[in-house]
Amino acid sequence: MENDNLNKLWEIQGNDISNFNPKDIITKAKKQRNGQYISITVMSLTVVILIIYTFYFAFNQWNTFNLGLILMISSLTFRIILEFYSVYRKEKQLISMAQKSYHAYLKKYYKIRLIINYVITPVCIAVYLIGFYLLLPYFKEYFSKAFYTYILISGIVSLLVVIAIIIYSAIKEQRFLKQLNKG
Amino acid sequence: MNSEQDFTSIYNSYAPKVHRLCLGYASGNNELAKEWLQETFIKVWTHRNSFKGKSSIDTWIYRIAVNVCLGDLRKSRKSITINEALLSNSSTDDNNAINEDTEEKNIKKMYQCIDQLNEQNRALILLELENIPQATIADTVGLAHGTLRTRLSRIRKSLLKCIKNGK
Repeated sequence: MENDNLNKLWEIQGNDISNFNPKDIITKAKKQRNGQYISITVMSLTVVILIIYTFYFAFNQWNTFNLGLILMISSLTFRIILEFYSVYRKEKQLISMAQKSYHAYLKKYYKIRLIINYVITPVCIAVYLIGFYLLLPYFKEYFSKAFYTYILISGIVSLLVVIAIIIYSAIKEQRFLKQLNKG
Repeated sequence: MNSEQDFTSIYNSYAPKVHRLCLGYASGNNELAKEWLQETFIKVWTHRNSFKGKSSIDTWIYRIAVNVCLGDLRKSRKSITINEALLSNSSTDDNNAINEDTEEKNIKKMYQCIDQLNEQNRALILLELENIPQATIADTVGLAHGTLRTRLSRIRKSLLKCIKNGK
């Protein structure tokens, strides 16, 4: 096969992109952008409410209920903000870097993700659990036994589901890092 | 590129090339290639204001496309396995339309061979096969223009050898 045939062969392959049109892509892009804005607004509002609550209420009548609540919400908020920030940074690099630099950046990015996945996230989960544990006596006192059991079981189950998702994505990212290191 | 009209004309000019580029990255998996094509142009539209014209618009689009394909976690061994399976099936086909079969087989072999290249060489050859000017390729990948020519000829040779011999 001659050199030119390589190009000929390449051109033979199908180019079926008929079911896309630029208008649909713009609509999708706008929808995606709006979704991001909504998530950021919700997150910001949560953080603002948390700060207001801490300063006006929690500090005046400090008890383990407030401490538990603050531990839970702040660990969750911190982890989500970290996720947003790292996704935002990656996107910024994707649109501005040449392939060579982006490849190097991805290696660095996924190495940092290892630290996030194996150190920061477990710490956040531990803090969240401590917070949850501190709230339990209050739930037991104020709610019926059935509702307390429901909170306890659903809290544990949902946490287990979240941990499973985190482990799955951590494994996926680690595999991808290995692949990047080969290339 | 601020209006939808500009975007449409850019899309019509570059989408076929970007799609084939993604096909090469996805080892011929058209569904994945179409997803990457869509993602590329979603980013082009979303970040149109950050395009300052430091590079040409085509370099910018190809950079985004190559980086989207490079950075997808699903860029999987799975799609490669699918193509290997297709390849072995096609060799047992009837002898009708031998040319078409051979071409199809060669394309599949080509995907398989491209997949054996490292990330940078893969990007280089896929852009080259789309007849994109070498200066644009150099800017897209981040290589000095001078080293590109020799590198490309080496990749072409190894690709041809691989398609012929299956190595």
